[in-house]
Amino acid sequence: MLRLTNLRKSYGNIVAVDGISLEVRRGEVFGLLGPNGAGKSTTIGMSVGLITPDSGTVEIEGAGAPTTDRVRGHIGIAPQALAIYDDLSGTENLSLFGRLYGLGGRELKDRVHRVLDLVGLLPRSSDRAGGYSGGMKRRLNLAAALIHEPPLLLLDEPTAGVDPQSRNNILDTVRDLAKAGKTIIYTTHYMEEAQKLCDRVGIIDKGKLLCVGTVDELVMAHGGKSIVRIERAEKHERFETDAPVREISRVLAGADAGDPVTGVHIDRPNLESVFLGMTGRSLRD
Amino acid sequence: MGSLAGIRAMWAIAWTDVRLLLRDRAAAFFTFVFPIIFAIFFGLVFGGDAKKGKIEIAVAQLDQGSLATEFVSSLKQMDGFNVTSVASEADGEKAVREGKASACIIIPGGFEKGLDSIFANGKGPEVPVLVDPSKAADTGLLQGRLMEQSFAMMAKSITQPERMKKQLQQARDMIAKSKDIDLSRKLMFGTLFQNIETFTNDANKPGEDGKPAFSDNALSGFSPMQFEMKDIRKQRIGPTNAYEVSLPQGIVWGLMGCVTAFVSTLARDRQRGTLVRLRSAPVSRWQIVGGKAMAGFVSCMLVQWLLIGIFAMFFGVRVPNPPMLIVATVFSACAFVGVMMFLAVIGRSGEGSAGFGRSVILIMALIGGGTLPVFFMPAFMKPVSMASPFKWSVDAIEGATWRGYDSQQMFLPLAVLAGVAIGGFVLGSMMFRRAMRE
Ligand SMILES: Nc1ncnc2c1ncn2[C@@H]1O[C@H](COP(=O)(O)OP(=O)(O)OP(=O)(O)O)[C@@H](O)[C@H]1O
Ligand SMILES: [Mg+2]
Repeated sequence: MLRLTNLRKSYGNIVAVDGISLEVRRGEVFGLLGPNGAGKSTTIGMSVGLITPDSGTVEIEGAGAPTTDRVRGHIGIAPQALAIYDDLSGTENLSLFGRLYGLGGRELKDRVHRVLDLVGLLPRSSDRAGGYSGGMKRRLNLAAALIHEPPLLLLDEPTAGVDPQSRNNILDTVRDLAKAGKTIIYTTHYMEEAQKLCDRVGIIDKGKLLCVGTVDELVMAHGGKSIVRIERAEKHERFETDAPVREISRVLAGADAGDPVTGVHIDRPNLESVFLGMTGRSLRD
Repeated sequence: MGSLAGIRAMWAIAWTDVRLLLRDRAAAFFTFVFPIIFAIFFGLVFGGDAKKGKIEIAVAQLDQGSLATEFVSSLKQMDGFNVTSVASEADGEKAVREGKASACIIIPGGFEKGLDSIFANGKGPEVPVLVDPSKAADTGLLQGRLMEQSFAMMAKSITQPERMKKQLQQARDMIAKSKDIDLSRKLMFGTLFQNIETFTNDANKPGEDGKPAFSDNALSGFSPMQFEMKDIRKQRIGPTNAYEVSLPQGIVWGLMGCVTAFVSTLARDRQRGTLVRLRSAPVSRWQIVGGKAMAGFVSCMLVQWLLIGIFAMFFGVRVPNPPMLIVATVFSACAFVGVMMFLAVIGRSGEGSAGFGRSVILIMALIGGGTLPVFFMPAFMKPVSMASPFKWSVDAIEGATWRGYDSQQMFLPLAVLAGVAIGGFVLGSMMFRRAMRE
C-alpha cells in the first residue's frame, strides 16, 4: 500500500530521517514507535508529500508519489499538531476539509454526520472547536482525516495529550477502521498502544528504522529473556529464561515442603525491552 | 481535480477565512464597527465647523452705475453671507460649479435703466441668480434676503427726487405715446403721477426719526427686481457634506482592519498547523493562496460597501457615479489583498510577521490619510503620503464620489492601486509558496 525507499531528510545539521525503507501492507495497522525526535513525524510528512525528501522515494500502491492531487485524495492524515480551526464548529471544520477533497451537498452532510458519530462528537457538533477539551480536539482532528474515506490513513500520535476517555474512543475508532479494511500507519511513543493495536511495528530512533515485525516477532528476536521471580517464605529466587512457564513448572514440581512457594511473577519482555535491547536506552528518555 | 472543483476548494478556504474574521470579535470590531464610528465621529467634527461658516455668494457687477454699485455694497453688508465680487458672469458660474459659492448674483448691464423704468414696465430689472441646486437651504435664505435688499434699493431710488422724476417722466411719455390707453385713463395716470411726485418730494424730507418716511413695507406684494434663479449643475470639486470626507477615512480604517486581521489569521494558520493541513489535501499551493486572497478581497469589498451603504443611506453621502465607485473599490480591495499577501509572509515565523505587518499597515494608514485627510496634512507630508497605498485608495474613492473625477483623472490612482495589487500578489504569493514549502 505504501512503500518508502531509502528516505532521507535533514534540517541543517540535524538528520531527521536517515535512510528509512519500509513497506506497509494493505489492510494492516502499522505502528511506528519511537521516542521524541526519532523522525516519526518527518517520515509521515514525506509519506503524504508535505515534506520533500532529500533523497529516496515514496510510492502509494498503484498511484505513485503523493505529489499529485489524485494521490493525495487517497490519503487521510491526522497531523500531530492539531489542525482544526478553533473558531469553527466541529461540523464546519469537517465540512471545510470535505470540500477540499471535492465533496459537497448531501453527500458531504451525510459524511460529516457519520464521522462525527464515529468519534463520538455528535452532541457537540455545532459548538466551536475552541471550546472542546484536548481529547475532543484530538478526536475532531482524527475525524478530519476520515471525512473523504481514504483507504490509507496516517495518524501521527493520535492520542497525544488525551484523557483516558478520549483515548479509548480513539483506540476503538482505529480498531473499527482496521476492521473496515483501512491501511493505517500509527505513530506513537506509547508502546502499550503499539502492542495493543498494531499488526506490525517498526521501531525508529534517531532517524533510523531499527527493526520491523509483529510484536511477538520483535519481542522474540530482540526482547531478551523473561524474568521469573519465585517468592517463598524464606528464600526468593530470580532468574532469566527463554521458557518461563517450563521453568516455573520445574520449580513448583521440586518444591520444598519446608519452604513453600508463595508467589510467582513473570516479567515477559515487551516492546520497551526491545527498544532497550536495541538502543541501550528507555523509550521514555 | 478539475478547475471547477479547484474553484470550489478555493472558495471553501476563502469562506473559512471570512468566517474566522467575522467570529473573531476584536478583529470584527476593528474591521467593521470601528471604521463606521470613526467616520461618523469625524464627519460630525468637520461638519460642525462647516455649519458655522457664512454662506459664500459671488456677485458679478456688469453695470457700473452708482445704483448698481450701491446695491452690490448693500449685498456685501448682509450678515450671514460672505459676498465676493467676481469679474464676469462666467467667473461667477465657475465659482458655483466648483462649489466655492452657493450662488452667484448677476447685476446685468441694464440694471439701472431697469430700475428707472420700474413704473413704466410695472416690474424692475431682471437679476439672474446662478444657484447650486444642492444648496437649497443656502439659496432659499439668499432669496429672502435679496427681496429685502431690492425693496430697500427701490426705496432709495424713489427717495432720490431726480431719479423719481426721471422715472415718472418716462412713465408719462409712455402713457402719452400709448394708443391703447384712452384719454380719461391718461388723465387719471397724470394726476396719480403728479401726486407721487409730490409725495416723493415730501418723503425725501427726513421724518421725525431722521430717516426717510418711505419704507419698503408700503410696497408689499410687489417685487422691484426680478430674481431669476438658474440652477447650475455643480461640478464636484469640493465635498458638499462632511461625511463625504470622513467616509474614505472610515474605509481606510476598514481596509486596515482587513489587512491586519488576515495577516494574523495567516500567521495563526502557519503556527497552528492548519496551513500544513490544507496543503495535505488535494489542493495546489496556488489554490490555497488564491483562497486566502479571495477571502481578503471579499472582506475588503464588504467593509467598503458596508461603509458606503451606511453613509449613502443615513448621512447624505452621494454616489453620483456608481460604476466608477465599484471600480474604485475593486481596485482598492485588490491592492490591499496584495499588501496582505506580502505582509503575511514577510517574516520567517508566523507571529513575527503578524507583528511586523501590523506596524507597517498602521504606518501606511497614518501617512496615507487614515487619521487625517491628506489635504489637511502639512505640505511636506503630501509627497510622503504618495508612498502609501491608502492615499491612492482614498483618492480613487473621493474621485468616484465628491471629487467627480473623469476616467482620465481616475487613471493615476487606479494604476497605482493595480501596481500595488500585482506587486504585492506576485511577491507575496512567491514568498507564501516558499513559506508553505518549508
Ligand atoms: N522543520 C524543521 N526544522 C528543523 N528541524 C526539524 C524540523 N522538523 C523536524 N526537525 C528535527 O528533526 C528531528 C525529527 O523530528 P520529528 O518531528 O520527525 O520527530 P518525531 O519522531 O515526530 O518526534 P515527536 O515524538 O516529538 O513528535 C528532530 O530532531 C527535530 O528537531
Ligand atoms: Mg512527531
